[in-house]
Amino acid sequence: MPPLRPAFSTSVDSSRLERLLRDLGPQIRRGAPPALPPPRCPTGIAAIDGLLGGGFPCGHLSEVVGAASSGRTALALGLLAEATRAGEIAAVVDAADAFDAASAVAAGAALERVLWVRAPHVRAALRSVERLLEARGFPLILVDLVGCEIRDACNPTAWSRLARAAAGAQAALVLLAGRRLAGTSAELALKMQPSRACFVGTPALLEELEVRAVLARTRSGAAGRAASVRLHVLGSAA
Amino acid sequence: MRIACLLAADLPLTAVLRAQPELAGLPLAIVSGVGPRAQVIAISAEAARAGVRPAVSVVHARSICPALRVRVASPALERAACETLLDVARSLSPRVAVAPPRSGVYAAEAAVFLDASGVGSLFRSEQGFAAALTARACGAGIPAVAAVASSRGVSLLAARCIARGLLQTAQTAQSAAEGSRAAGDNSALQDAALVLAPAEEATFLDPLPIDLLDPEDGLAEALTRFGIRRVGELTRLPQRSLVTRLGPGVRRLLALAHGEKDTVPLPGAVETRVEEGVDLEWPIENLEPLSFVLRGLLARLAERLELRGLVCGDLDLELRLAGGGCDTRRIGVSAPSGDPRTLLGVLRLALEHPLPRAPVEGIALATEGRPVRTDQLDLFRPAGPTPSALGRTLAELEALCGSERVGAPHLVDDPHPDAFAQSPFALPGHTRKAAPRPGVAIAALRALRPPVPAEVRAPRGRPEWIRSAVANGPIVGLAGPWRTTGGWWSRERRFAFDSFDARTEDGNVIRLRFDLVQGLWQVDAVYD
Repeated sequence: MPPLRPAFSTSVDSSRLERLLRDLGPQIRRGAPPALPPPRCPTGIAAIDGLLGGGFPCGHLSEVVGAASSGRTALALGLLAEATRAGEIAAVVDAADAFDAASAVAAGAALERVLWVRAPHVRAALRSVERLLEARGFPLILVDLVGCEIRDACNPTAWSRLARAAAGAQAALVLLAGRRLAGTSAELALKMQPSRACFVGTPALLEELEVRAVLARTRSGAAGRAASVRLHVLGSAA
Repeated sequence: MRIACLLAADLPLTAVLRAQPELAGLPLAIVSGVGPRAQVIAISAEAARAGVRPAVSVVHARSICPALRVRVASPALERAACETLLDVARSLSPRVAVAPPRSGVYAAEAAVFLDASGVGSLFRSEQGFAAALTARACGAGIPAVAAVASSRGVSLLAARCIARGLLQTAQTAQSAAEGSRAAGDNSALQDAALVLAPAEEATFLDPLPIDLLDPEDGLAEALTRFGIRRVGELTRLPQRSLVTRLGPGVRRLLALAHGEKDTVPLPGAVETRVEEGVDLEWPIENLEPLSFVLRGLLARLAERLELRGLVCGDLDLELRLAGGGCDTRRIGVSAPSGDPRTLLGVLRLALEHPLPRAPVEGIALATEGRPVRTDQLDLFRPAGPTPSALGRTLAELEALCGSERVGAPHLVDDPHPDAFAQSPFALPGHTRKAAPRPGVAIAALRALRPPVPAEVRAPRGRPEWIRSAVANGPIVGLAGPWRTTGGWWSRERRFAFDSFDARTEDGNVIRLRFDLVQGLWQVDAVYD
């Protein structure tokens, strides 16, 4: 009986393997344990949190865009309220100089935990965000660029740089703007649309705004899903 | 009562070596002014070994020792060194006082007195206390000697004895007379510290030269004429006759020679302000070399604060400029810190905007010491930024955006719709119970600062059509008006607004107001 032979020669196999590795090159990656989903910063608005899978992802750049009266600011203040109520420190970089402390308190935010930076222009706002991300310890940074002149103010690479910095700091960086700015650097983009404003009673009172949130971009899950939200106007809600 | 004296014998030299430790071990001369005729007022041991002597000119000193390093005496550095000595004393005793300035041969010395009563229980012995004192002074960059006795005068004389190398002579004489010196005194010599028991003081003072009492020139001459060279010889003379012959000035000498106790107690320490300064030999024009000097100043400032268990608060920087004039700045330190690197970053940012208008000739830096942050992080609260990182970040943000544009928002007690306020941001020290979260989502207001002017058609006092930079077209929904008034006592500050909530045809929901004082329509906020 002939001696048993291995199905292939070991030396040939190793050379083939080396060639294969060389050919495939960058397509091969070292195995790693499965990545856990990033922690989320909730907004406290159930419909939006459901749409986002729990809130805005920490360690990523996200965008909230839309027209005036579409609920962008209400959403941002909801985020701020949830973060500060959890004992965290949040920063608001406000190039639009539109932050209203009374609305933030009405939304439930603890103002002593909020650092409000009234950046005089977009360039200063983006540099301020970089400084805050470098400092670490700010788990939520809101950047309000609504109505600001963006075109010449920032380099297109600025968004990817900020996204990388946010990943390093494990901070949820949320950008508020009239239109999408960060492109593919954003982990998710939420487009807000105004639906209707409800005036009731005689004499009439503004009771609530109804808005619609559409998930315009997400890297995890399907985009295009939408949710409706009713925003009660300060005073009538109480 | 027991009093300790901490003495730095050669303050001009000590002050320069504290600021420039790299000069230690080199032949060094401190001169009184600039130019070749400046007089040498202090020399290092290496310079003395090379043959340089005080009171010669710089040119002469350099001819004796070509490798001699020369530095101009800096009053600012000497002041800071003297205060450091005081800080060292404060770090070990609650009651301290600076010795009054001397003249003549003792003009260059700096001394502080400390209450040393009962320190034996903390340091095992007074000897241990004196050794700790000298060690701490040495750690702060000031080689000093210490002596403990029953009065300020005797402790000062004992310290002078050590500093001038006279202790050996005094001890030998004393040992010969008493034969009762403790065996541990050799270590005291090595440690530059000496403890005199009350019973030993008279014997210790007896053989000391009369010059140690620092008599005035006329008195010293008279005593020499009488053949009085030792303290013991002075004490043996009849006091009343001596005062009659030599005048009242001799009373002080007699009190010192007899080791009389002090009647005025030492004051308690209350001062928390710390100052450091430097006089530059050449004006500095650029920020980079200025930062180098500031780094040293900050390091010394932080060391002194650490001795007192404090950290650095807001900084008062004073730059003396070439050609006269002064640049004075108060630099806020949001999170008190003892880290010189963080403080240097804050200082640099403050100096960049604006830069000093002329080269800098002298720097003085002062701060009010703040207690070290004692807030213990909560296990159930997320950790925020570190105080040092936060301080630096806030300084950077203020440099970027302006100091009045960075802070924590807060509600203002002002009826004016445009009123808002920011206060300096600080890490919240404790967990406060948060306000209850409303059960529903709340529509927010976006403030328009300043309000946007609008053209409005309001035929019956109610807006029906608007044209503005924010919203345009027919108004399809309206609520209001609500009148807000205030400031009626002042023509400039009075205001009266009729406000409306309005929805325009283009979908915007705005807060519109009519300014009753100026007769203008404005949009002051947008619901969003």
